[in-house]
Amino acid sequence: MSTPVTTAAASAGALVDEAEHGKVDHLAGTRHDRRGRTRVDPIYYWFLVPTLVIFTLAITVPAVLGIFYSFTNFIGFGDWEFIGFTNYVAAFSDPAILASYGFTFGFAIVTVLLVNVIAFLLAVGLTAKIRLKAGLRAVFVIPMVISGIVIAYVFNFLFSNSVPALGSSLGIPWLSESILANPDLAWLSIVIVTAWQTIPATLLIYIAGLLSIPGEVYEAADIDGAGAMRRLWSVTLPLVSGYVVINMILGFKNYLNVYDVIIGLTNGGPGTSTRSIAMTIFTGFTGGDYAYQMANATMFFIIAVAISVLQLRITRGKAAI
Amino acid sequence: MPRNATTRPASAGGRSRGRATRAAAAAVATAFALAGCSTAGGGTSDITFHMSKPEAIPYFQGLVDDFNASQDEVRVTLDTASNLSAGFLRGNPPDVGLLNYNYEMARFMERGALSDLSDMPEADRIRPEVQDLVDQYATYPGRTSVLPYSVAAASVIYNVEIFEEHGIEVPTTWDELIAVCDELEAAGVTPIYSTFKDPWTLGQGLFDYSVGGSVDVPGFLEQMDEIGTEVGPDSAVSFQKTILEPSEQMRRLAEYSNDDAASRGYGDGNVAFANGEAAMYMQGPWAFGEIAKTAPDLELATFPLPSSDDPDDLKVRVNLDLALWIPEASTEQEAARQFVSYLMQKDVMDEYNAAFLGFGTTTDAAPVTDERIVPMQEYYDAGAFYQGLSRSIPLTIPIDNYIQTMATGGDIPATLATIDADWARLALRG
Amino acid sequence: MTQTAAKRTAASVRQATARNGAPTPARRRGKVGQEKTSWTTMVILFLCAITVILPLYVTISMSLKSTSQAVDGNAFSLPAPIDFSGFAQAWELTNFPVAFTISLLVTAGTVVGTVILASLASYAIVRNWDRRFFRWSFFYLLAAMFLPFPVVALPQIQLTGLTGLANPAGVTILHIMFQLSFSILLFTAFLRSIPLELEESARIDGATTWQTFRQLIFPLLAPMSATVAIFAFLASWNDFMMPSLIIADSAQQTLPVVQSIFQTQFSNNYNVSFASYLMAMAPAIVVYLFTQRWVMEGVTQGAVKG
Repeated sequence: MSTPVTTAAASAGALVDEAEHGKVDHLAGTRHDRRGRTRVDPIYYWFLVPTLVIFTLAITVPAVLGIFYSFTNFIGFGDWEFIGFTNYVAAFSDPAILASYGFTFGFAIVTVLLVNVIAFLLAVGLTAKIRLKAGLRAVFVIPMVISGIVIAYVFNFLFSNSVPALGSSLGIPWLSESILANPDLAWLSIVIVTAWQTIPATLLIYIAGLLSIPGEVYEAADIDGAGAMRRLWSVTLPLVSGYVVINMILGFKNYLNVYDVIIGLTNGGPGTSTRSIAMTIFTGFTGGDYAYQMANATMFFIIAVAISVLQLRITRGKAAI
Repeated sequence: MPRNATTRPASAGGRSRGRATRAAAAAVATAFALAGCSTAGGGTSDITFHMSKPEAIPYFQGLVDDFNASQDEVRVTLDTASNLSAGFLRGNPPDVGLLNYNYEMARFMERGALSDLSDMPEADRIRPEVQDLVDQYATYPGRTSVLPYSVAAASVIYNVEIFEEHGIEVPTTWDELIAVCDELEAAGVTPIYSTFKDPWTLGQGLFDYSVGGSVDVPGFLEQMDEIGTEVGPDSAVSFQKTILEPSEQMRRLAEYSNDDAASRGYGDGNVAFANGEAAMYMQGPWAFGEIAKTAPDLELATFPLPSSDDPDDLKVRVNLDLALWIPEASTEQEAARQFVSYLMQKDVMDEYNAAFLGFGTTTDAAPVTDERIVPMQEYYDAGAFYQGLSRSIPLTIPIDNYIQTMATGGDIPATLATIDADWARLALRG
Repeated sequence: MTQTAAKRTAASVRQATARNGAPTPARRRGKVGQEKTSWTTMVILFLCAITVILPLYVTISMSLKSTSQAVDGNAFSLPAPIDFSGFAQAWELTNFPVAFTISLLVTAGTVVGTVILASLASYAIVRNWDRRFFRWSFFYLLAAMFLPFPVVALPQIQLTGLTGLANPAGVTILHIMFQLSFSILLFTAFLRSIPLELEESARIDGATTWQTFRQLIFPLLAPMSATVAIFAFLASWNDFMMPSLIIADSAQQTLPVVQSIFQTQFSNNYNVSFASYLMAMAPAIVVYLFTQRWVMEGVTQGAVKG
């Protein structure tokens, strides 16, 4: 999913601060009663409660249900019984599940670094003094509007046919074999396609960051006689560090759900070398392992929450962009 | 919502089938009409029919259209792509399923998800040894949950022209097979065309052939089930012990494959083999139709893969390529049964099996006539067949992917040990 | 405070666009190092742009080839002769009009639903922030942001099936619910920056809460609504995972899922498969090309509002 469902967690943090310090009195829009408490216009409940109800039914109930089933041997149909923590015990020693965590986190870390480095450099280029800037920017953003699975199918063809053909005509042995067929390198193809598809959003955020730097800063650096690389490293980068943090967080969360691109490229192979967490959950389920995979999903949830809490802490430190 | 979105170009299937089918359809419809309106008040019952064998989709679309046209009590919609596990989980699985029988269904059957069809007259026509193939997976006490529809017998497909050109005889022992491969390679011919990119092609081909030739598959599985959580390096049977030698044989053969096997898929393989790019191809009869799309006149034949030094010890691989079932959860049991009866008529089944080179599953089934698979009839009739091991393993164990690892140079003992560990874990949480 | 940053950014993007669009001669002739067009940078950027264009070029050229030309595997050759039969076949095989309509309806439903539900909820939350119920509701709704879809996917398959929502409508509802957290975050931040005096004067004139929202607040929210809408659009239109699992009837699948369903049936007819991919990509690309400025600003605003 290319959802940048993400957040600048910073502002959640900011809201918490406000709530804690009671700075929000002025926001209360309705009339005050005699004790100075606001009397809530009932229509506000109509604005909020239906959404809360749907949200609860669509998200909370399934989450609770899933956790419940993770303690059973339900296969998605028919009789079941409670089996305690057996699923969790089995999952903890299941190399397939552990490997999927290893793969997913490794993939997410490599991708987030690669994407950010490329996007940052592109953003620097695209905010430099060049011509055709608007046109170039428009081109670089195109991948954002393309569905991951569709572009993965296109790349699948390129990796299986065109690149090896090119490699063998140039006489380069390592290039003449499909990267998708190599258990040690297939994950790279997933990184490449994911990067291709997600660089645009990251790029846009960096461009905004770079444009927010006042020109005088560079002029000062110029006077100091700083070289281009030096200027990039010690002037530009620190000034956009907040954007770097946001991009890292947005990307990392997104990449943990990697699924579409794998389906389109390797389908988890060769062997089991590119099975992500999401994929393990869904293929396990297709094989009749509902409860077991819910145990896996619950573990995934706990890890995701832990990461989010961690990120919230980091961002609150970096909140002031 | 337009329900007819899966309608394929009403091609081949619709037109090529004979008049017999249509007449039969009408007969069945009349019979049901006479038997009284089983479906409420003359209204139409809508049922979903799941059939996802890609090659056969146009054919069954034609059958469905004929059935719909022949009567107006039951309207069948063909579903070719929905996720069955999700269907059962939702409580609305397809009303009739006709698909490759494997552990995906077996797990549901074990928990009573499939209705009992033993009272249908069609159930009595099934050959007992074929029904045994179903029971090798799982059974539900007192029920006949699945009706085998078509058995695919598979062995090595070879290019007759290439064999003759190099004066090669069909090998009947393992050593002869290796000699043939060496001879072909020396002559500059790729011995075997492999498509490692699609792991299933490896599982049902090289792997199942190698294992089935030397291991008693049902016996092995039965023991594995008994040992359950104790499966491991020290158990009486295990993948790492029992399957080690066949896996090494498989790897040996895999090395005679085309150089780009790792990046070729099933579709590529059919085209390449049709173009004479290799002498042998480890695929089932379903591939013949695909190969013929590129090379209609190519002369092909089959032989069972020899995996021992005894020329009489030859068996073919079979699988329940299609089997019929009706879920308990179907709300249209009567309509579903009506459609099952229609599909199970002798003429309809014979016609399907003739068109798709399958072997009949009933006692009254016509023998195969296609010369490409006729040689396998004697093995089939003599019961010299085994069910592919790769299709007899719970789907939560990604066996095809493991096989891919082994065939492409991965550590064989370690991979087999992983499968054993998976097996034991599955038994633990069963 | 958070909002000012977003505004500042948005403004600077606009400013920068204006500045870059027409660099004044005076500036161009200015200092050597900084102001001159950097040709090295341009060359590098062009090379990078090629990696973006190349897969798109391959998609287009493959889709225009004949089956026999497509199967030779040379992706970069130009189609000769140009053959549109791939499109005709893909159109019919995948039943493109149906899949396209369903994708369109799901996406439109998600965009409209997200904007309406999120803006109403946000307004209620911000105006009653002193009430525990509204405050807690905010954090409750926000929590979904930390919830990966795979975690709740399987129970959702079960529940949508039981409630008759195993169809595009169900996917629309779930898409809205998954967009809600982020959208509410954006709207609440924006609402906090709207001065209360504006609203109070409307209320003195006798406007009800609903009228105030409908006539005053919602129009004011427009820029943020656009951002929310763009994110909802991208998430919904491109999604594969959720529709593939939730929608029971494969005849009602969305465009991206249809591509995977027909993967085996495309077989080696690469011109057909690429025609199908192109038809799946093209609508969003065309829309983007006409709205690129808003899309870029929207994404920037949404992500940077921190």
